[in-house]
Amino acid sequence: MPLTLQVFLYGLVTALATGLGAVPFAFARSISPKAVAQAHAIASGLMLGASFGLLAEGTQYGSWQTMVGAVVGVVFILLTEVVLRRQDVGFGRVRGAGARRMLLVMIVMTVHSFSEGVAVGVSFGGGMTLALVIVLAIAIHNIPEGLAISAVLRPEGVGVWRCAGWSVVSSLPQPLMAVPAFLLVETFSRMLPYGIGFAAGAMVFMVFEEILPEAYHDERRHPVAVTVTVTLLAMLVFQQYL
Amino acid sequence: MPSASPSASRSGRSSGGALPAIDLPASAATVAPTLDLTLLVLLYSTVAAAAAALGAVPLVWRARPSVRWIGWANALAAGLMIGAAYALMVVGLVKIPWSGIVGALLGVVFVNRTHSASGTADLDLNRLEETTPEYGYQVLLINILHSAAEGIAIGVAMAVSLPFGVFMALAIAVHNVPEAMVLCAILTARGVSLRDAATLAVASNVSQILLAIVAFALVTAAPMLLPWALGFAVGALIYLVMAELLPECYRQAGRTSIAVVTIVAMGIVLLLVSLGA
Repeated sequence: MPLTLQVFLYGLVTALATGLGAVPFAFARSISPKAVAQAHAIASGLMLGASFGLLAEGTQYGSWQTMVGAVVGVVFILLTEVVLRRQDVGFGRVRGAGARRMLLVMIVMTVHSFSEGVAVGVSFGGGMTLALVIVLAIAIHNIPEGLAISAVLRPEGVGVWRCAGWSVVSSLPQPLMAVPAFLLVETFSRMLPYGIGFAAGAMVFMVFEEILPEAYHDERRHPVAVTVTVTLLAMLVFQQYL
Repeated sequence: MPSASPSASRSGRSSGGALPAIDLPASAATVAPTLDLTLLVLLYSTVAAAAAALGAVPLVWRARPSVRWIGWANALAAGLMIGAAYALMVVGLVKIPWSGIVGALLGVVFVNRTHSASGTADLDLNRLEETTPEYGYQVLLINILHSAAEGIAIGVAMAVSLPFGVFMALAIAVHNVPEAMVLCAILTARGVSLRDAATLAVASNVSQILLAIVAFALVTAAPMLLPWALGFAVGALIYLVMAELLPECYRQAGRTSIAVVTIVAMGIVLLLVSLGA
């Protein structure tokens, strides 16, 4: 099998792993308003933790580039919001604010996957063993990302299988980006800090703008604060030890 | 240059003669840095606490700020605090050990429990209108507990390195200004004079000075406590943002403006940290 095809297939494996994030929702029976609030709190904690990890990683490649990327990420979400507000957006059967939130999560997580795909591709330049370790690491990292997506989609009435499907879709840029990144390692590794910063800025902004307020809406603030802080810490541990 | 002085004192010891005269400053020099540092912790945490007085300044022109301004002040304080928590994590812990995580969970438990114990878990912290008579005291109590966690952050950061400690103290000082503005607005709405409100805002931050010195002394005496204390501060700060600062913001001003203020404040701290690190 040619190496380029292998890179693509490994990228596909990491994308499929994202779908596993929907699994916990197969066991949740009823969705009460409080459960919805907690799901949003979980998504907030996971995304904040992921962004902290991304920012720390990005600054190792270059502080300024990461910060520039982050500012662009925030502006990107602001503009996307403005565009989505003007239109009557629909996501499946959902309309209005819920649909806008779902669409935003999908957009942010999909764009975020581009830099992960680049990371997969670039890692193949450093030998097979290292590449496999990184592929495995990114595949495992994708599971909580799928969880975050499902935590936003599921309360709006999207079925578990569809949640898994959308999670995988959000990661499809990974196999697509892995191949060009592998072929043009030099160029892509220089772009990596911008991409990482962009993903972090976009995620943090989306948490404060869309997801966290939803969490406070239907649940008292201390239970929300416990969930957000503990999932954030769990995400940090997860990123570091897996 | 620094390597010259120990060898000089060693040769001074072997030759005898003016031994006490040379040895005394040498031994004093080993004590002096920590003593000086403790004084610096005192100085900088006092500056941070005193900065709260500036929170009263906007109220000179406008006795009762609009609800949106209260929301933005809270968002500003929240963003600076998340930035500070990130700084503690990245600069202090680099790779987070298990002790840091356990410390962080203890920080969460600490803030959560103190709120339940003082019966303030469901208290709306930004009421300017009619409230119960004890409301003012409850808000003051929350501010005192809130400042305690910030004090630990300053003290621990000082133990990591002096520049980082100064940075943390200044970040907390700036954070104290919008926070004190909200507190002063609540107190003046309850009939407290602006000068008394400013005094109370500073007084509620005295716990910050005490905890900064205690945390610094503890961590300097037992360096193995450093990851625990750093983790504790990180967990407590993030929890405070999520439980005290952000929840009411979203009802006071638009989501987008709250998110922009929070992320800009956070971004400034992050930029300074990543450029310094």
